[in-house]
Amino acid sequence: MNKISLQECSKLALETGRIILQSGGTTNRVELMMHKVCQGFGFEDSESFVTPTGIFLSLSDGDEQISTRIKRIEQRRIDLGKITQVSKLVNALQADIHNSRPLGETRSRDFYQELVRIDRENPYPTWVINLSGGATSGFFCLLFGGSWIEFAIAFLIGCLISLSLKYISKLPVNNFLLNALASALIVLLAKTIDTWIPNIRLDNIIIGGIMILVPGLALTNAIRDTMSGDLVSGTARGVEALIITIGIVAGSGAMLKVWDLLGY
Amino acid sequence: MMRPFDYLTLMQFAWAFLAIIGFSVRSNLKGIRVLFTGLGGGLCWASYLIILYYTKSMLLSVFLAIILVCIYSEVVARKLLTPVSVFVICVIIPLVPGRSLYYAMRAYISGQSMQASKYIFDTLMISGTIAMAIAIVASATNLILRLRHRF
Repeated sequence: MNKISLQECSKLALETGRIILQSGGTTNRVELMMHKVCQGFGFEDSESFVTPTGIFLSLSDGDEQISTRIKRIEQRRIDLGKITQVSKLVNALQADIHNSRPLGETRSRDFYQELVRIDRENPYPTWVINLSGGATSGFFCLLFGGSWIEFAIAFLIGCLISLSLKYISKLPVNNFLLNALASALIVLLAKTIDTWIPNIRLDNIIIGGIMILVPGLALTNAIRDTMSGDLVSGTARGVEALIITIGIVAGSGAMLKVWDLLGY
Repeated sequence: MMRPFDYLTLMQFAWAFLAIIGFSVRSNLKGIRVLFTGLGGGLCWASYLIILYYTKSMLLSVFLAIILVCIYSEVVARKLLTPVSVFVICVIIPLVPGRSLYYAMRAYISGQSMQASKYIFDTLMISGTIAMAIAIVASATNLILRLRHRF
């Protein structure tokens, strides 16, 4: 069985790392998975440095040959399904090592195709995603003491926000502006519906919408990164959580104030 | 104040369950994992309410509830061959202080700075408590796994 080249192995490992990091994996996991891929294809000596915005990977074959690559991560979105699938794929690679070591070219081609398939795949159609966004917002509205009619409105707003988040994130906006626009939209929709339907409490509806946007992922990853010793990414993600929070507050606050000033 | 273990707590459990199922489907999680993250979310909120009833202290109940569900996700995620952080992310969502954040913002806009600072303080304390609980469970698990590996 012939070993794959140094360049090819570093490309595979970097692609694995990119998918996990872009979908919101922790730094520790990205480093571990890249190391496992390199090990599986026969390069024991690999070092990596991962931050939320980029991956540095250096790989050597034991002699003087060294391959170093940097990958900049631009866009990130929460996709827990992809993290799970890529982790499973890499662990299957570990299991294969016991049969043939090191893994050869055919296995690397299969691995790359699987990665591309996972990267392209969308497990749910768009309407399911939108409806589940609606369900999140609606049931949080009920949880915080809303009535059934408020549930229906929060459900509708959640669906619309999920739909519009998809289009807003296609624009070249940063994380702060994305959350500010989305939360402003929540308040605008809630206030508009309020003019038609009397006797509803807006607070629960708006909170239900905001719960879609809260930075649970950034908070969790910040803590877990800091605890596993990756101080750089821990701080970076902490700041990300803070920025998202400020975005939410700024957007919804500005829209509430504007609505008040217009005098409805 | 609701009594623990009556049908109201059960309904709150069901709503947190359904909300977290919606959240995890929205972040592309598939199969049986969706059910278990939902269960964790329900457990999180229900245990928060029950502990709040007995201790009357918000931060302590947040702390204990998060510790409980973090242990839940460390155990269940390993059984389901899922990264633990995936589970923790979904499961803590009901307690993330979106509500006090909104009230703080609203109080600030209507000019009641006293109220606003109270809610901001709440928000910061709750986030800090959640962070502390996650950190404790994550490092304890790390320690246990290493010790088991060694002996």
